[in-house]
Amino acid sequence: MESSHQYAFYLGCIAPNRYPGSESASIRTAKKLGIELLPLKGASCCPAPGAFGSIDLNVWYAMAARNLVLAEQMGKDIALICNGCYKSIWEVNHKLKKNAELRKMVNEVLKEIDMEYKGTIDVFHLAELLYDPEICGLQKIKDSVTTPLKGAKIAVHYGCHLMKPRKERHFGTTEHPYWVEEMVAALGAEPVEYRNKMQCCGAGGGVRGYDIVHSLDITNEKLINIMEVKADAVTDLCPFCQLQFDRGQIEIEEKFGVKYNLPVLHYCELLGLAQGMTPQELALDLHGISCEPFLEKVL
Amino acid sequence: MAKVKGYPEALENKLRDRRFYGEDTNPEFTKTVKKISDTIAHMCYQCGTCTASCPSAPRSSYRIRKFMRRAVLGFENEALTDPDLWLCTTCYSCTDRCPRDIAPTDVIMAMRNLAFKRDIIPVNFLKTVQAIYTTGHGVPNNDVNRTARKKLGMAADPPTTHSYPEFIPGIQKILDYFKLKANADRIVKEREG
Ligand code: SF4
Ligand code: SF4
Repeated sequence: MESSHQYAFYLGCIAPNRYPGSESASIRTAKKLGIELLPLKGASCCPAPGAFGSIDLNVWYAMAARNLVLAEQMGKDIALICNGCYKSIWEVNHKLKKNAELRKMVNEVLKEIDMEYKGTIDVFHLAELLYDPEICGLQKIKDSVTTPLKGAKIAVHYGCHLMKPRKERHFGTTEHPYWVEEMVAALGAEPVEYRNKMQCCGAGGGVRGYDIVHSLDITNEKLINIMEVKADAVTDLCPFCQLQFDRGQIEIEEKFGVKYNLPVLHYCELLGLAQGMTPQELALDLHGISCEPFLEKVL
Repeated sequence: MAKVKGYPEALENKLRDRRFYGEDTNPEFTKTVKKISDTIAHMCYQCGTCTASCPSAPRSSYRIRKFMRRAVLGFENEALTDPDLWLCTTCYSCTDRCPRDIAPTDVIMAMRNLAFKRDIIPVNFLKTVQAIYTTGHGVPNNDVNRTARKKLGMAADPPTTHSYPEFIPGIQKILDYFKLKANADRIVKEREG
């Protein structure tokens, strides 16, 4: 039996409450790759960095710190599958570790609920763990594939808050990254590149709620660019981006009268398919845009 | 950021000399924004790389470079009352490209924090606060999703505050510590009755 890497699985909101297939897929696919995702009991919203960060950064720090303490109490590093959660959980952890003054403020608040942030754990996006050869790596992903996604052209949407701001993160270039394309290729699919691929999905910063047309117009621009290269699907690392592209296409049809029918799948859903999980096991029927044309191509 | 001793004071005196500040500007604003954002906003030389990188710029009158100028010159009212302040998606493209290593995104966040102190805030932000106060989630579970989860062989509710509501009072204490729920309720009520 291979040694297993264990993590506290921080779920966030949109994955468990809108796309439960990606939660299930993450747990099952990771397990096959020697990564065990354990429930992080009592976790809350990260909280939403756009909304909370805009209102009062101190509340954002304190609320994120509570989630971090839950994992500290488990004695496990956190793994998560959402860029927005990464922004809150990773970044607040990072800031609290290096800023004593901030840590003091946060701990004063946490004292009210008998908690203390100690700075004993690290936070990872599941995608970076999968890419990391010391944890998993491309070869292991390849070896786990039973249903190669042959013949499918897949565009990657990286999203913003995993890799940006570049200088505070550790992912290298944010102008033209290629590591997620490599992970897509490992599944047997053909990654395709498109114009301005690092552009935002349009949902963040509270803009989706504040001005939905403005927000969808940004999404629409990305969709135009992705359709131009004849992608069969777009993959993402963030359930909020996924919601914006998936349910967003329905809203775009309503508001702008254009229809794309472009399937949108979280990378862990793709990985699930490639490892032989059925569309039912991934609850793909919950998606706003049907994944059927894509599934017909690959299954 | 490299710090030259005494530099900010020197710069400030120089700007005063040149009558940079007028009656409608507030030099304190520049300092407060810098403090909250933790970025060297005053180093902006208005090259416009930020606006050129901004996904919100081509489809609105929002110009991040303009907000940077307002930060530097202390145009507090102009910045905080401009509805465009809320069109930043926080994508950090400007931050990754700024040749002066400034984080314009964080300048916007700082300005939004200051705007909230004056009750200037779109209600959708506050509704997220209200949702988290009652459920722990900004996007809570629903019945369609519960059914789907069960079909997947998962618990109807995820192992978050949804399955462990005993954690919600702690979350409420944190939000109450900052009087955030009370303020959110008050402002939403004022706007929507
Ligand atoms: S890119 Fe940087 S220096 Fe240039 S205008 Fe924007 S904030 Fe100022
Ligand atoms: S972070 Fe905001 S201001 Fe900067 S490029 Fe993105 S949307 Fe524009």
